[in-house]
Amino acid sequence: MRLGAWRAGFALFSISLCCNRALAQQLPRPIEAELTGREKFLAVAIGTMMLCGILSFVMRGRISERTHVAIALFVVLIGGFSLLVLFGGTLYDVPLAAALILLLLVGMFKLMSTFESGLKTERKSTKD
Amino acid sequence: MLRSPEHPSRSLYFVNGWVDGALIGGLSIIVFIALRLFARGEVTREAVLAASVLSVFFNYPHFSATLYRLYQSPDNVRQFPVTSIGLPILLIGAIAASLWQPDLVAPYLITLLLFWSPYHYSGQTIGITMLYARRSGFEVGRWQRLALSTFVFSTFIANFSYPRSGDPIMRYGVLIPVMHFPAWFAELTFAIMIVSGAALLGFAFTWSRARKKILPPIVLLPALTQLVWSLPGKQSAMFIEFVPLFHSLQYLYIAWAMQIGLRMGEPAADGPRRLVSHETLRWLLRNSIGGIAMFIALPWVLFWVNVPMVTVAGIVVAALNIQHFFVDGVIWKLRNTRATSPLMLNLADWAPQGVPVTV
Repeated sequence: MRLGAWRAGFALFSISLCCNRALAQQLPRPIEAELTGREKFLAVAIGTMMLCGILSFVMRGRISERTHVAIALFVVLIGGFSLLVLFGGTLYDVPLAAALILLLLVGMFKLMSTFESGLKTERKSTKD
Repeated sequence: MLRSPEHPSRSLYFVNGWVDGALIGGLSIIVFIALRLFARGEVTREAVLAASVLSVFFNYPHFSATLYRLYQSPDNVRQFPVTSIGLPILLIGAIAASLWQPDLVAPYLITLLLFWSPYHYSGQTIGITMLYARRSGFEVGRWQRLALSTFVFSTFIANFSYPRSGDPIMRYGVLIPVMHFPAWFAELTFAIMIVSGAALLGFAFTWSRARKKILPPIVLLPALTQLVWSLPGKQSAMFIEFVPLFHSLQYLYIAWAMQIGLRMGEPAADGPRRLVSHETLRWLLRNSIGGIAMFIALPWVLFWVNVPMVTVAGIVVAALNIQHFFVDGVIWKLRNTRATSPLMLNLADWAPQGVPVTV
């Protein structure tokens, strides 16, 4: 009974908020100006990352965990490269950013070196 | 700690000390010394031409050898489906994006290659060191591995972080500006490199003292070679042109040994000497043709794109390199039930006892 009253109260409160135009946020308007080359590239990159996610979802149960991980690493690679395209200019302008980007790239290369090669636990169990 | 091989080699080397030493890095160190002594270090037109011509015979086949090893059997493709099928699709996408936005995406694809290449060289240095360590009986435990990896990767980071000339470099029609790192970053990298290098030498010394024999220098040669390529080598722009060639030589040598070792594990009508010669020729020919197809024919296929040919070539080369880095990461892990460990053999092991073998 008490729970029902809480739920009803919460619903009424939400409706009152929704109907209050003063509290509403306007949806951002669609971009009127033509997309820049960088924005177009990022849109394609985001689409490709989504495709990788959908592929992994569709193939669940039919492909090994190692293959799922490899697809996830594709997403990391595409994302990493997109960030490089987005912020790569700082590599040549800001010394501290250059050091940071270099270390991040090393991390990404290290991650990619494990690509489709099996998880550590898998490798350990194979050895044993 | 590595387990002792089931079929220990009769020798530490694949062929002999001179050949192994030269191809694993000795030759590159000699060339570097010669260039420092007899050349001014600037890149000359002749040096670029020589490096380009030698690329056809060494660099291109080294890429092709990787793909040949992956795609030579449908079993390999099934074992690594994302690398063999998914990756080429992704890289075709990267090529398309770079050609679509040549001013925006292509420079970063080439920048990515310029970072990834020396990292890949570092990985190969560690792999070859581990190989010779295993062949020589030098136990590489957690601390030895940590010292080796830290040393090799710090030379890679020092390669970028250490001050260099302020002139931008031109790569594949793209002008790459010079990166400037904080001074403390270069000093820190250098300090880490010195400490890890000293630790590595310490392990080698301890091993030598315990066994009352000197650790074979070939075990430490790949790390020394990496150091020369990364730091003193940078002082000679001419030498830098040839570093990919020396990396390819290292790679081709090990890949050749692997290929021969695998073939020797198969039943064959030919005698061992003939088999080694035939397989070597066949493998070299296939990889040379494959390399030319990849690096000369493939960029020409895209002649119709409204982008300068040199940039098209750069984009294709970058994509092929990235594929190589991925494929190289998996091909040495291919399951092989025929041969126990081809990389633990020596040329003499491929022939019956007492039969001299020449290639």
